[in-house]
This record gives sequence, C-alpha cells and structure tokens, in this order.
Amino acid sequence: MTYIEKPVVPKVVKLEEPTAKERKILNMMLNTGSDIYQGACKKRGSTLKDEYRKVCGVAYMDPKDMAKLGVANWDTVKVTTDWGEVVVCSVHSRDAPHEGTIFIPKGPWANVITSHETYCCCDPTYKGIYCTVEKTDEPVLLMADLMRAVYKKYVDDEETIPELESLGEMPVYKKK
Amino acid sequence: MAYEPPVTDYDEIVENGTCAFCGCNCDDLDFLVKDGHVVGVRHACRLGASKVMEDMDQRLMVPMIRDETGELMEVDWDTALDKAAELIAGAVRPIFYGWSETSIETMKHGIRLGELVGAVLDNQATICHGPSLQAVQNVGYPIATLGEIKNRADMIVYTGSNPMNSHPRHLARYSTFPRGWFRPRGRFDRTLVTMDPKYSDTAKMSDIWIGFEQNGDYGFYNAIRAALRGKEIDQDYVSGIPKEDIMELAEAMKNVQFGALYFGLGLTHTLSKQRNIDMAIEMLADLNEYTKWVLTPMRGHFNVNGFNIFMAFEMGFPYGVDFCRGYPRYMNGETNTIDLLTRKECDVFMVIAADPGAHYPGGAVKHLAEIPVIQVDIHWGPSTEIADVVLPGSFIGVECAGTSYRMDGVPIYMKKAVDKPETCRDDEWIMRELLERVQKIKDQEAAVASK
Repeated sequence: MTYIEKPVVPKVVKLEEPTAKERKILNMMLNTGSDIYQGACKKRGSTLKDEYRKVCGVAYMDPKDMAKLGVANWDTVKVTTDWGEVVVCSVHSRDAPHEGTIFIPKGPWANVITSHETYCCCDPTYKGIYCTVEKTDEPVLLMADLMRAVYKKYVDDEETIPELESLGEMPVYKKK
Repeated sequence: MAYEPPVTDYDEIVENGTCAFCGCNCDDLDFLVKDGHVVGVRHACRLGASKVMEDMDQRLMVPMIRDETGELMEVDWDTALDKAAELIAGAVRPIFYGWSETSIETMKHGIRLGELVGAVLDNQATICHGPSLQAVQNVGYPIATLGEIKNRADMIVYTGSNPMNSHPRHLARYSTFPRGWFRPRGRFDRTLVTMDPKYSDTAKMSDIWIGFEQNGDYGFYNAIRAALRGKEIDQDYVSGIPKEDIMELAEAMKNVQFGALYFGLGLTHTLSKQRNIDMAIEMLADLNEYTKWVLTPMRGHFNVNGFNIFMAFEMGFPYGVDFCRGYPRYMNGETNTIDLLTRKECDVFMVIAADPGAHYPGGAVKHLAEIPVIQVDIHWGPSTEIADVVLPGSFIGVECAGTSYRMDGVPIYMKKAVDKPETCRDDEWIMRELLERVQKIKDQEAAVASK
C-alpha cells in the first residue's frame, strides 16, 4: 500500500517555436519548500525508501524549460548553485507555467544546493537562489547514499565513495 | 489516487485524538486501533494520516551508538544514555535543537539541562518562522484565534503559503469552508485571496490570485500601503502587478467586515526576510484604520509555536536562547543554530524530534559531520545517518500524552491512544535521565575540583 503517487502531469510538451534552439545549460531560479508528497513521505518515516527519492529528489520544471533542455519526465538533471551541485530527476510541474523557475521539495537533495547565508536574520535563504540546470547521465542517489557521498562523516577514504556499495532502503545497524 | 476500501477490521476506536503534524493541531481525529496499533485514522488529512500510520520499517526501536568502524550498533539504554550524558557534560558549546515535535513537558527538562551545561536551545523557528518572530518584536502582533476567524472573517488572504500542500485541513476546518456564526453560508460568504509567485494548489482554488514576482513581496506590500493611504503609485507595474489591480485590491481589502491574513515561509525564506513581515504587519495596521484585520503565521510543526511561547514565558526570548554565560541571551545572527554551525562554533549537537540532516542547508550540515551528534527521534531519517548516539523516543499524541500549542497560541492537551513499543521511552523520560546523568558528572567534577 502506498500513499505516494507520481503527480499527474502532461506527458510531452514540444517547443512552441520549432526554430528555437535546444540549450545545454539553463540559467534558472531555484525555489525549495514543502510539498504534500514530500511531507507525507517524510513524516511517515519512509526516508530511506525509493519513494522519498521520487518525491524529494526531483526538480519540478516548466514543460517549456524541459523542452529547451531536451529532457523528458524522470530524466536526470544536474542542478548547480554557488553552494554545491546535486543530481535530481526533472519532472513536469503541476503549477506550470513558471518559466525560468524550478522547484525542488525540501529534503536532503535540495539542501545540498541551498544557501546557508542568514544575513544575521537566523533564517537561511531557501528560496530565490540562482542556479544552472543541465542534462546528465548520473543517477539520483538514495537518501543514505546521498548523505554519505555529500557529508562523508563515516568514510575513511573519500575517493572510494563512488565504488562503495549502496546502503539500501532499510536501516543498517549491528543488532545485539 | 487509487481507491482504498475503508478500514473495517479494528478492535476499538479512540475518539478525539489530536493530530501531531502541522500547526493546525486538528483535535477531532478518530484512531482505529487493532492489537495495539493504529490501523486507520478518520478525519485526518493525507499528511496527518501518513504520520499516524507510520512506516514501522524505519521506526527507531533500540538505542544505538557508533562503533569504531562508523557503523551504528545496538546497545542498552544505560550505555547509550551514559555516552550521551558524557558528550553533553564535556561540551564547551553544545546546541540542543528541535523540540517542535515533542511535548512542553519534555521541554521543561530540556531547559534545565540547557541551563546546567550552558547550551544554546533553539527550535525549528530558526529555519522557518524566526523572521516572523523578529517582525513581531519589531512591529507587533495583531493575532486572533482560528475560531474567531472561522466565525467572522469574510476575506481570507494566504501569502507566501500553500496550505493545500502544507496544512491541508486549514481551509476546510478553520478559515474558508466552514460555516461560522456570522458567515452562515461558509465558502460563499468569504473571498479567498492567494498571494504567491507560484500558481500553487491553493491559488488554483482561490477567488483572486496575485502572482507577484519572485522576491517581490516587499515592494508589493508597500504599494498596497501607498494605495491605502491615498498616495499615487508612480510606476505602472509594481512587482509585476499592474497599478490598477493594486488599487482595486486595496479597495477590496478596505471594504470587508473582517479580514484575516495568513503568511508562510514564502515571506521568511526570501531575501528581505523579516522586513517582508514587518511590511505585511504594517499593512494590516493601515487596514485597521478602516476595518478589522488580523494575522496568523502558518506554523509548520504541531508544537513549534509551543516552544516559542514556552521559551518566551520562561526565559524572555522565543528561540535561539544561549545559556553559555549562565543567563539567557538572544541575539539574531549570533545565537542561532545555522550561524553557530556555519561559524563552526558548536562542539556537541543534540537534536530532539527534528531532522537537521534533511532540512538544514548543506553548509550547516557539513559542520554536523565534524562533531558528535545525539539524536532523539522516532524514525530513522537523514539525521540518523550523521548521528553518533541514537535514542528512540515516542510519538506524542499517539503513544504518549503531552501539551502542544496551536499556530494561534491555543494550548491543546494531546491524549494517548496506544502503548509505545516496549524498547522505546518517552521523550520526557529521556530528557530527565540525561539531566540526572549530566548532573551527576558535574557534581563529581565539582567534588574533584574542590579537593
């Protein structure tokens, strides 16, 4: 039984002007925030599961932007900001049109690239960050793998991280 | 969504449970209980139901600590609590962060522990509605309870908030749809306005959607204020909204009988931060020249407001309270968790019922990867991946009782429905144990020093 379904979005949108060129990199504005799918999955506790990757490791994009970039639903894209880069799936937004803006639900994926600048107002800047979006072949990591690859807390040799086995979708600990 | 047949196989119904998800604290839930587990929830929204009918695969059941290889290892409660107490007692600049998904009773012990070791106590407001609280300190707080708004309001404005996604029952139970004493026809007697750059799910069902530009909140509210004061607006467009529309909206807002403004993180997370909310509150002050307007922040967790109220009552400051000098101190940009972490000041971090691993910006989590982290929570989450000591707590409102504060500041007692798993403990018990153990270490240190 699952509560999470992929949001209903149109399948394919073609570029309106056939002469417009496809672009390799798009300069966009990044917003992050909560979303009902993310909220339900997070608070149910299913953060290790593939489900969480499907609701949080996604960038909701305007179909026109996706057409420009030449990506389809559930293709992977790399989003880069001044604070980092992360690979997420591109997904047609339910709130389109919002050309030039992408939305990544809050979660470990979004927070790799959000700004920790608080400007002495205690609150980091989670919204309105300039970013670039490009197509990539790299996979979207599961939550546990992402935390290990980005923050490297219990990794001895950082260079071995890509070869390490996935931590999987279930808790890993030594039982008594 | 696929059709799911109603749950009919249950032993008993526990009525009038309180939802432990968002700041709405809906207190009309019915839990369907079978064999000591909640198998169904009535009246809850998708978010509330998903939290109550949790994923038991990832439930934290046993205390754990990291071994030398960096893998979590199951230990008994004494070992885990001693290890945590040792870390806390030896810390120079500890932070106790979280508290928003636990009860006021737990915070009571937490505050004593914080005073004892000179910690910084902070809650999720520091990454969500902190700027709102600063704005309240700047320009005041024309608040009303949700019940009053339900009975009176004929215009509801959501700004920088998407309650259909983050507080799904808010419109249905408190603001827009219910019939109120002076609004007998419910939705038909009210005007719903959404101000959001995004055509959000709430905007889709609103009567008026104002899609101002990204980061355009500040300019937009200023324009409305100018219009309210009868000033001429020089520009044709302000924040992407035509001048005529702003005049029309200001006129409409002036001519209601009772208006309510709800604001969310869209205002606090953008660049102008608390200045946005300053301006929104001052806009309300201007509107109150003509008619009655009130506002309420859309608080995210069920007890995030509780921590702020409790802290402000006990210590005088709502969040980010620093005890390192022996007395409470609060300074924005100085004693807030994100700033302390990015400046790499903190040396032990305890997280109680929160998930910094998921919700802190990467720059702050990077420091968490360098220091010991103690986690008190109910589910295995991103924070568990960076935690050194894990203490499994219990679920307030379902597995144990406790007090929480709704987004409008109304305290609600959340009752217990089922028993907690045998190996878990109440958050309150964990905090009290930690306090006692840290006290013991401190007493020993003092005894040694006096010799």
